[in-house]
Order: sequence, then C-alpha cells, then structure tokens
Amino acid sequence: MEKSDIYLQRSGTREDVDAELWDDISDLHLDLWRSTWVPMLDHTVRRLQSAAVPRENWPQDLHWDWGKKTDWSRSLLTLQRFAITCGGALQGLTLVNLTKLTARLPSQRGKDLAYIEFVSTAPWNRPEIAGVQQFHGIGINMVRAAIELSRNEGFHGRIGLHSLIQAASFYSGTCGMSALGPDRHYDDLDYFEMTPTQADAFCRPA
Amino acid sequence: MTLNLTDAEMAALEDLAAKKDLNKTVVIRQALRLYQMVDQRLREGKKVFIEDEMTKAKSELMLL
Repeated sequence: MEKSDIYLQRSGTREDVDAELWDDISDLHLDLWRSTWVPMLDHTVRRLQSAAVPRENWPQDLHWDWGKKTDWSRSLLTLQRFAITCGGALQGLTLVNLTKLTARLPSQRGKDLAYIEFVSTAPWNRPEIAGVQQFHGIGINMVRAAIELSRNEGFHGRIGLHSLIQAASFYSGTCGMSALGPDRHYDDLDYFEMTPTQADAFCRPA
Repeated sequence: MTLNLTDAEMAALEDLAAKKDLNKTVVIRQALRLYQMVDQRLREGKKVFIEDEMTKAKSELMLL
C-alpha cells in the first residue's frame, strides 16, 4: 500500500494541514472507522430516530459498513479503495469501480471511466452530524484521486458518479463536472460526469 | 507472458481499443476485470442479465 502527501484545510483558519492519501483501505483504517466513526454515526441515528426525522432525510451513508465493502472488494480487480488520514485520524474513505459504467456525455459516449461508488467523510467533518467541521478538502482530494486513477488506467481522467441532491452543487460547481440529470435506473439520483478536458481544468494548479 | 491472438481476435481487440479510446493492454485488463466480477457474482449465487432497454426482455448471461 502506498501513500501520497496531500493537504486538507482546517475549518475556520483555512490553514493547510498535512494529510495522507492511501491507495487502499487497510485493517488499521477499518479499526479507526469502527472505533471513531461508528459511535458518532450510531449516536446520530438515535438522535434522528428520537426526533422522528423521516428516514429519507437521513444522511445516506449512516449505515454503510466499510468493513463489508472493503472485504468484498479486496479480491476484485475492478474495485479500487482509497483512504485519507490526517493527524492519525481517518478523514475519508472511497470506493471506485473501473467497469461499472461507460460515459454518457455525447462527446464521450461509450468510453470507459472511473466510477465513484461510495464516498464517506468522517463525522467530525460534517456539520449536519457534528454541528461543526474540522477539515475541508476530503471530497476534492477523493475526486482528484479518482481522476488520477482514471488517467493511470488509460481512461484519460474521465470519471462519473451519482450524487445526493445536497452534494450536487459541489460536483457541478467546485469540481466542474457535467450534470446529466436524474437517473431513473439509480433511485433518480443526479448523475455527473467529468471529461478529460474538465479533469485537466480541475487538476490545474490555481 | 506473451498473448497469442488469431487475426480475428486481434481485429476485435483493435476495434474495441479504437472505439473505447483505450490502448490494447487496457482493453485486455478491462476484460479481465469484467470476467472476474461476473464470475464472482455467479459464485455468490447471483444471476447476470442483459436487458433490452425498449422491451425490457432479459436474457441471461451464461458463464460456464
């Protein structure tokens, strides 16, 4: 397993903080997920239940079992995992599929892309769960990791994903991806794609 | 390893590489990923179908 040096931004001060992007999810990462994420997520579930918040309004990933996702995906060549750590804490997890979809944009139709299956950010980086946010930049670094994987696999930076409505502006605005609208084959979630040109623009230093 | 292909197989490989904007090595790697994924699904007791978008008719993809 290899790691790359990346930066996150501390909330409030916006200072850059050294972090690590790992090209797999290790047993240590899973231990951190179980010991630090799961208790906060379980607490959130109890809070939502007692407040009678409709289940369709809950954060979708509250029940994602990263242990099962990691175990199942480890033997499959098509699935690539990433983890982000900072200060010894687990900040984000992602699973990318290299054969799930081909591109739908007319200019790219039928060409291979890296599809982001699952992205989770640590509960303390999510105001809707923790009330505050420690770090920014997990999503951007995960998108960049998927682009880099796409390039390394010969897909020229093409990526795709389905997004919850609350994250749509991040993918279209911050990431500059093309919105292709709700996907009736995928719970009507909005589908987004990034072309090689958009990937170059996204990765270009500011 | 050396991969020996017939003319027809090589033509199919080159056609896919051109259509998909991939080099031939990547096409082979994608084929292996897909084959492994389908095999895994079948081992788990799942079925893999091809569905006609218009008629919704399904045909089962068989792997022996």
